[in-house]
Amino acid sequence: MDARADLLQGTLDLLILKTLALGPLHGWGISKRIGQLSSDVLRVGQGSLYPALYRLEDRGWIEAEWGISPEGRKAKFYQLTAEGKRQLGTETETWRVFSLAVNHVLRAT
Amino acid sequence: MHWLSKLRRRARLIVDRAGVEREMRDEMHFHLEMEAEELTRFGAEQSEAHRLARRRFGGVARFEDEARDARGGRWLEQLRQDTRYALRVLGRGRGFVAVAVLTLALGVGANTAIFSVVRGVLLRSLPYPEPERLVAVQSVIRGSPTAVSPPDFVDWRAQAKSFSGLAAYFLSTTNLTGTGEPERLTQARVSANFFDLLGVRPARGRGFLPGEDAVEAPRVAILSDGLWRRRFGAEPSIVGRTIRLDDFPTTVVGIAPPELKLPVGVDLWLTTRFEPRDVDPRARGARWIAVVGRLASGATLAGARAEMAAIANRLALADPRHDGGVTSRIATLQEDLVGGVRAPLLILLGAVGFVMLIACVNVASLALGRTAARETELTVRVALGAGRGRIARQILTENLVLAIGGGIAGLALAILGTRALVALAPGDLPLVHAVHVDGVVLSFSLAVTLLSGVAFGVVPALQASRQGIEARLRSGGRGLSLGSGRLRRVLVVTEVALAMTLLAGAGLLVRSLARLSSVDPGFRTDHLATFSVTLSPVRYPDAARQEQFTRQLETRLQRLPGVTSAGVSFALPLTNSGFGFTFAIGGRPEVSGPEEPRAQVRIATPDYFRAMGIPIVRGRGFTARDDETAPHVILISQEAARRYWPNEDPIGQTLMTGWGRDETHRFGGTIIGIVGDVRQFSLAMAPLPEIYGPLAQRPLDELSVVVHSTSPTATVLTAARETVRELDAELPVYDVRSYDDIVRESIAERRFYVTLLATFAGLALVLAAIGIYGVIAYSVQQRRRELGIRIALGATRERVIGLVMRQGMALTTAGALIGLGIAGLLTRVLRGQLYEVSATDPLTFVLVPVLLVVVALVACVVPARRAVAVDPATTIRAES
Repeated sequence: MDARADLLQGTLDLLILKTLALGPLHGWGISKRIGQLSSDVLRVGQGSLYPALYRLEDRGWIEAEWGISPEGRKAKFYQLTAEGKRQLGTETETWRVFSLAVNHVLRAT
Repeated sequence: MHWLSKLRRRARLIVDRAGVEREMRDEMHFHLEMEAEELTRFGAEQSEAHRLARRRFGGVARFEDEARDARGGRWLEQLRQDTRYALRVLGRGRGFVAVAVLTLALGVGANTAIFSVVRGVLLRSLPYPEPERLVAVQSVIRGSPTAVSPPDFVDWRAQAKSFSGLAAYFLSTTNLTGTGEPERLTQARVSANFFDLLGVRPARGRGFLPGEDAVEAPRVAILSDGLWRRRFGAEPSIVGRTIRLDDFPTTVVGIAPPELKLPVGVDLWLTTRFEPRDVDPRARGARWIAVVGRLASGATLAGARAEMAAIANRLALADPRHDGGVTSRIATLQEDLVGGVRAPLLILLGAVGFVMLIACVNVASLALGRTAARETELTVRVALGAGRGRIARQILTENLVLAIGGGIAGLALAILGTRALVALAPGDLPLVHAVHVDGVVLSFSLAVTLLSGVAFGVVPALQASRQGIEARLRSGGRGLSLGSGRLRRVLVVTEVALAMTLLAGAGLLVRSLARLSSVDPGFRTDHLATFSVTLSPVRYPDAARQEQFTRQLETRLQRLPGVTSAGVSFALPLTNSGFGFTFAIGGRPEVSGPEEPRAQVRIATPDYFRAMGIPIVRGRGFTARDDETAPHVILISQEAARRYWPNEDPIGQTLMTGWGRDETHRFGGTIIGIVGDVRQFSLAMAPLPEIYGPLAQRPLDELSVVVHSTSPTATVLTAARETVRELDAELPVYDVRSYDDIVRESIAERRFYVTLLATFAGLALVLAAIGIYGVIAYSVQQRRRELGIRIALGATRERVIGLVMRQGMALTTAGALIGLGIAGLLTRVLRGQLYEVSATDPLTFVLVPVLLVVVALVACVVPARRAVAVDPATTIRAES
């Protein structure tokens, strides 16, 4: 995997964690909410959401449970674990430092 | 707790993979439905909405696959797949699986069983606190370890600082009377600190108190757990009660815990109660006690050895007559107990290791043949995109599944085998009660199993993944087995060489056993029965009464129907007892130190020699006239005459031993005759010099009776028991056996090891034969076409058979030659176990290869016959 993909993947993880910090959601809901919150600037490839969700679950940052969606259908809901909350903090901080640094560089040019 | 839920998810992947997959599909399906519904709400057509939703989502199959990778445990899924596939593939080759699993089961079973014995006997530490600090101390005369004399022990205890304690003990027997049947018990007489030194607390009651081992102290005993249960019904109130031992009232003060088994086979412990004459410095030459010690904290084995060497030097200077040239030996108690069986057990472990190697090689060779036969299947799989690693892993998984099957079957064999070993082990195998299959043994067999799976799986796995796909496809899956064929032949040669080595070793040991079994012990063992009685010191306190009882018993026994002769002696040959003593020869200057004449001292009635069939070689034997009023007379053995009277006639000369209550009661007299040599301690040990005195002149309280008769031994012994009861109903009769049994038992341990080793060698031979058969049969299968052409062109039956047999014999000969080379080097480790057979015994080294060749010929005959049965028409057509 090249550096660009890594970066994108890391970003997607951060976005998922942030989205779930507001409350449990199913996969489709997550993709919609990322779109809403970023005013449709960030478009997540819908399918690629799932490998990311499974990876985060395997790392123990989120956990999944089957429940009933507001539309009355069976759906798999994800929520943050305590570890996930900590991870969100760390990743937010890392992102902030990273984007500051990138902005700094961009301004200097 | 994260790892716990992770573990749960992994486990679910194994047990409910279908459920996990279904949930993933459901989840993605839900997503697509929601997206499509939303699109419909914004006005899209139903079918258009679904198409659009799918496009937005991307390739479902691709993301499913990525998700599978992302959820972790992918290797587990593959392992599960591989295992299921392996089971399916193996299920198709039942014959192969049966042979492979059986082969491995025999290997794992034999290894685990032997290892469980090694673990129980050699590797488990003694059940006492800080067992590594417990040591056995012995005296050493002329390089051979021997018992210790009480005066030496007293001096050691006073002088040695390296030990926190030293305790003496010795075995003897005692008559238990007064409660039910009189019984002969084995007692250990021990120093008062014996239990404290070992760190053993009695299960009930108390241990011995300081001073209780003095001769004037009241008699006290501690019962073994076994005796307490067997004889006293595990009654706790026995502690504090009085029992009668040799007619002396003795107070039971405690019951030992079941794990205390020192010395081996003991029924109860009493205190030493050394008489003043036992510890008198003049008795320094009488070595008959064992010494156990515990190293003081901070003391080392080396330090203790140095200190004991210094003490031995001082004692030698102080008493050169008795202690000159006498040194000491300190070994850990564990080593002392199992030292004798270490070598044979390790040899057995080595032998089963060979069997395991052969089993692995065999299965590897079989698996290789199978892989070659599956070339087409493998080729297709490679063509369909399976990576080399994936194929290798698949083959390896198959072999591991096989190995685990073999391991499970082997474990079952091992559990049975271990029980059989313990049951068959000769009684004197120390610590045999500690032998059972435990966690360590199980881990060992698991390790052996997995190791074997990898060992025999790697070769075919590599082989399968190595060959290029193009080559495979081009050949149409034919004629490519050349590479694997060569490898298989190498494996079979290896196998034959290993089997050859093992057979040679077993052959040498079997020859030794045969030699030993045919050794003349110096007396006749058939139709000879024996039993012992010990006279109570209370009711037979003096020589006159002991002599009277013995004479009466002998006379009555001789009158029994069928009895041809009956005699009395003590410490009979091959019963692990003996009584060595130094002596002085009349008219010669006294010699001291290691050069002092030494002989086994024996007492016998005149008829003892007739009953045993020991010939009077020169002079005369004892007669009834050699009684206490007559001059003391002595018979010596041929070995004694050879060694101590090499150039003169011993008859008429006198000798005097150090044995006797005091100076006036020394055992000695005038030599009146020379008798035949007898092997006293073992068939393997050359006869020792012996001195006999007549029982009438030196009565005994411990009598071993030998009865020669024409009636069956059991009948004679029943009548003999009755005779003893008539004379004294309070005397227990013990050690009731036929002499043939005694001789058999004396080599039982050797027979045990040899039988096992021969079994393993036989197993190796069978496995090697299977290996040869497999290779030849496979080769015949592969060469069907070629053979068909040969037959079509007029090759005779004999030629075709010869062709196949030659191939098999070439492998066998190569293996046998290599095996002979290895055996020539390795049989050296057996040298200590051999008896009058050289480690490179020519007969063995000729016969064993012959046997191997014969077996190999048999293994080749079946495939050779199949080769002849080839029908040229069908084979040529089928494959062209």
